Amino acid sequence: MTMTAGLGFRLEHLEDALTAHEPGLWFEVHAENYMVAGGPRLRALLALAERCPISLHGVGLSLASVTPPEPEHLRRLRALVDRIGPAAVSDHLAWQTWEGAHHSDFLPFPRTRQALAITCDHVARVQEALGRAIMVENPSLYVDLPGHDMDEASFLTELAARTGCGLLVDVNNIHVSAANLGFSAEARIDAIPAEIVGEIHLAGHRADPASGLLIDSHDAPVGDPVWRLYQRLIARIGARPTLIERDDAIPPFAELMRERDRAHRLLVARGTVDA
Amino acid sequence: MPEAADFQRAFAAMLADPGGVADTALRRALTIHRNTATKAARDALFANFPVAAALVGQDAFAACASAYVAASPPCEARLCLYGDRFAAFVQGWDAFASAPYLGAVAAVERLVIEALFAADAPPLDPGALAQGLDPEAALCWHPATRTLATPFPAGSLWLAHQGDQGADELADALDSLVWQAESLLITRPADAVEVRVIDAPTRAFLAGTTLADAAMRAADAGGDVAPIFAALLGAGAFCAQHISQDIQGDRP
Repeated sequence: MTMTAGLGFRLEHLEDALTAHEPGLWFEVHAENYMVAGGPRLRALLALAERCPISLHGVGLSLASVTPPEPEHLRRLRALVDRIGPAAVSDHLAWQTWEGAHHSDFLPFPRTRQALAITCDHVARVQEALGRAIMVENPSLYVDLPGHDMDEASFLTELAARTGCGLLVDVNNIHVSAANLGFSAEARIDAIPAEIVGEIHLAGHRADPASGLLIDSHDAPVGDPVWRLYQRLIARIGARPTLIERDDAIPPFAELMRERDRAHRLLVARGTVDA
Repeated sequence: MPEAADFQRAFAAMLADPGGVADTALRRALTIHRNTATKAARDALFANFPVAAALVGQDAFAACASAYVAASPPCEARLCLYGDRFAAFVQGWDAFASAPYLGAVAAVERLVIEALFAADAPPLDPGALAQGLDPEAALCWHPATRTLATPFPAGSLWLAHQGDQGADELADALDSLVWQAESLLITRPADAVEVRVIDAPTRAFLAGTTLADAAMRAADAGGDVAPIFAALLGAGAFCAQHISQDIQGDRP
């Protein structure tokens, strides 16, 4: 069955996930949570992978760091890919590591031609190590850094052209970034080439009282502006596997499935899904 | 690659102290990134040390956890394994001085995490024992097997917090706890990690390199090797002898 809308897999929802029958349902996990030697959580994911397509979403490759991805990290990710046989593998357009310290968030950088060359090199290394293409997700931005040679859409398009990677379009991150930096979310959505999009993320956000900025918190239902941007995107580019991303304040499985079903209906109405 | 490295060096330094950054927009962004990363690491400590958190309460644990994140930030992306030095940090945390057993409880929880993610291995089959074990062969421990000696009843404290007991049942369990040092065995016989309080002869057995050596140590400690071995077998402490631990590789 072609992938339509999916959910982030939570261990506490294992039984629900294993017995779910909805056509097109798939699950995504943070790869790093399963890059371990063994144990019951990995076995649970393997059991789920026998029933549903699984997407491995990395949060630690640090693709834009000046240092290349850690060889040990790549080895573990490759081992997980070989065990799971995922439908998709992805990570973020960001850096996280500096001199041995790992920062558990996605850090921004000036989008220079040098940064593009570095990121292309790292994406190529990852794809070589995994034996497959990956998708790169646009992160949330909280400040307009000086020194960009190109905008984010152009950077990602060029990254895809040079490496053969795909894009994971996070519509919530576009909404958050546009609000924070004062650019048009619609224009940003319209600038995404259809042929390189492999997956879409939808998530909730919240306002930070201290700064007045929107934060990509993944702890709330998908907001109406994000649904509108999503529909704008798929109306133009067609259907794509779409994830409802919830990482905090997790509601019951049935509630997540209702959100998932809304995306599923939109995708089915749009037409054939390319998985 | 000078410019990108210069930027990342400077940004990393500013992340350590966003309050010192003059530019308002940049300071706001740095604060958000720092808070997001701190929260993720702190949440990982709550997830990995739930009994310690239950013993001191959310707010007190959060303060200690935040300090640990600042002192020993994650060195890699796998937050599920974060906190390898947290037990020692808890031990030295001033606010917990009146609860000196907390470090020991955190040490138990660290070993539980190690056991949870350790490699899978076929357990030693009791049926295979009918063919006899070579007493001089090296004992093969399941990759999840861990031991710990603690000056506090940290194992019993951990055990009292397992299951869906209510506040009253937990209070009763803690009241009836015998306050003494404990030796512990941590194993993963099936899909869950188990913690057992073990006696001195069993602890002596576990120090053995071969079956013969372990049996001798247990006997010297006043124990009977047959029930000790049977108990360890039932706990899933061993793995099948034809698969050695070396093949499993390092712990995750």
